[in-house]
Amino acid sequence: MSEHRPRRILLVDDDASLLVVLSEQLRDDGYEVATARDGLEALRRLEAGWPDLILLDLMMPRVDGLALARRIKAEADLPIIVLSAIDTADSKARLLDEVAEDYVSKPYHYPELRARIQRVLRRLGDRIPRRSLVLGPNLTLDLHKRSATVAGAEVRLTPTESRLLQPLAANLGEIVSTETLLSRGWADTEEADPSYVWVSMRRLRQKIEVDPDRPVHLVTVRGVGYRLVASDGDA
Amino acid sequence: MPERSPGGEDTPGRSSAGGTGPSLRVLLTAGLLAAAVLPLAVFGGILVAARLYTDDRIVVPLLIAAVVVAAFFGLVMAAVAIAGLTAPLRRITTAVERVAAGEPGPPIHLPGDDELARLAESHNRIAAEVQRRNRELGTLLLAIAGYSPALGLRALASQAESDACSIYGLIDCNVQLGDPAEILLEEAVPGDPRPVKAEIRAGGETLGVLTGHLPATRAWERANQDLLDLFASEVGVALRNVELFGQIESQNARLLELDAAKDEFLRGVSHNLQTPLTSIRAYVEQLQAASDEAARDRRLQIVGEQADRLTRLVRQLLTVTRLEAGALRPEVEVIAMGPRVRRAWEGLNAAGTAFELRDESRGWLGVADPDQIDQVLWALLDNAVKYGGRDGKVEVEINVDDTIDRLHVTIVDHGPGVPEADRARLFTRFSRGAALTSGDGTGLGLYVSRQLLLTMGGELWLEPAGEGRGAAFTLSLQGEPPGDDG
Repeated sequence: MSEHRPRRILLVDDDASLLVVLSEQLRDDGYEVATARDGLEALRRLEAGWPDLILLDLMMPRVDGLALARRIKAEADLPIIVLSAIDTADSKARLLDEVAEDYVSKPYHYPELRARIQRVLRRLGDRIPRRSLVLGPNLTLDLHKRSATVAGAEVRLTPTESRLLQPLAANLGEIVSTETLLSRGWADTEEADPSYVWVSMRRLRQKIEVDPDRPVHLVTVRGVGYRLVASDGDA
Repeated sequence: MPERSPGGEDTPGRSSAGGTGPSLRVLLTAGLLAAAVLPLAVFGGILVAARLYTDDRIVVPLLIAAVVVAAFFGLVMAAVAIAGLTAPLRRITTAVERVAAGEPGPPIHLPGDDELARLAESHNRIAAEVQRRNRELGTLLLAIAGYSPALGLRALASQAESDACSIYGLIDCNVQLGDPAEILLEEAVPGDPRPVKAEIRAGGETLGVLTGHLPATRAWERANQDLLDLFASEVGVALRNVELFGQIESQNARLLELDAAKDEFLRGVSHNLQTPLTSIRAYVEQLQAASDEAARDRRLQIVGEQADRLTRLVRQLLTVTRLEAGALRPEVEVIAMGPRVRRAWEGLNAAGTAFELRDESRGWLGVADPDQIDQVLWALLDNAVKYGGRDGKVEVEINVDDTIDRLHVTIVDHGPGVPEADRARLFTRFSRGAALTSGDGTGLGLYVSRQLLLTMGGELWLEPAGEGRGAAFTLSLQGEPPGDDG
């Protein structure tokens, strides 16, 4: 991962004044920014070259955001952040679980948006497979869909839970420190401390372990961190 | 076969026509006998006269004259007899035709006690019965036509009771609503008025029973029961209409109320959206004129704050839409509530108001959707500032109830508190009270906050009024103890 080359962001939104302000803000923070006013223009820009990240409005004329995101994902695993007046509470936003890495709702606060961009770009190194991760007969993770299958039943994961599981899944069987998990899970939360990780792991275990009191997949390494392990289910 | 059947059908027709025959035959016989006896008598008289005056020449003319006279009188008497017979028959026929047409005329009175007189009597009875039924049906239809749904259930039932009694000549008429299987009906006791009943039905559903008593002197026929059943089913339809009418009325009233509340709410909201917009515009205009750096910064800050306020108001409105659509799915995370409350307070920019936070959470974390809990905290703290008086202090206390794993955040202001009258409808949507008392919010803050908390497994309530403080709201969340026991 080269840290010398500036990261390129393609900004797709039909609001011209927002394109001007936001690309100025992003350039001030050292990003290389290209803009597109609609889906077709975005596709033309992509033909010329792939950015590191796409910031995408959901509602646009000519090839809407969702259709565009699907076309992009069909070609390459390019991270997408949706920037839209529709927020995560909307049913349509659910569909974006499969195509978007994150959402920022409009009106946005620039510092928050920047934090999310940084987090998504940092996560690029984690190499999360966009496919099912089978950890045993009773646990399959589909982190790109923010879901898990526990003893045959589908369980939804919250964005934070999915963020916590990503470094653990990328380093299967190895210890991931509490500090790492804290920075991955709560990059934009100042007040977060290790108890956030401890409590969230305990809650996560309630969700994905068949017997949370005798965990077989999500194992605590006391005083250090956590390990995600594949297991045939017998503790 | 084809030739036989007309003859076969002919026979019963002839015999039924002969039903009125005997008396006709008697009269005819009498007439014919009269016609035969009279000429014989005249003939005898002439023979006697011929004996007295034995003038042979006049015997033959006399005989001829006698035969002519006798035949004439015989014919006249036969005609009188037939006329006397057919006149009452014609009267009866006309009367029966009127009965058949459904408009019976006055009763027919014939002298004597013969078949014709009895026939007239039967006609009179039938005509009276038809007339009585017609009257019954007429009053019944009139009564039913008067059953307006606006009468109300009780009035209509008692109207039906009195109508049933007067139309059918019953006593103690009673409309009992409910499952007929559960309504106990009395047994008939010989000698006492006989109980009669009809099920009150509407659209295949039995609503109840109409009961009454028939005086022992009166007969109760199949036709009476049919008519009572008909009446009862019309009563059922009328009762069902009352029910539907009532529903429509109350829905109408509710819609009008909602409409008025929404109008008021819209007025309030547009005013409250205009307030920050107005100040943004004003400060931007001033900014363009401002020369000194410090003044510009201060104004920019206000513009930013007002834009934030506008954003939050719009978000609150969006949340209401989502709550109504049931589209709100919180993503709960663990949250340290102390720092969260402090940050929400700082975001409020209420520099003129003192703030005190007592965090007794001992490291416990709350379980909530971070975005939504921020909305709730902002609304509650904003209210505390708004209603807390000019220099009132806002106090927040965070407590843990570890017996039930709950985290409680209580927000207290030092204003006048919530008026007793507003307490009950404080958390309702579009309530007039909420819209009227809202200073510069949407008037939806408390409703939205409580609904958001409910979707996250939390609660929000108003604490009872207490000494030395104004309003106190407590929000309750699922709590998680610190540490990892895995």
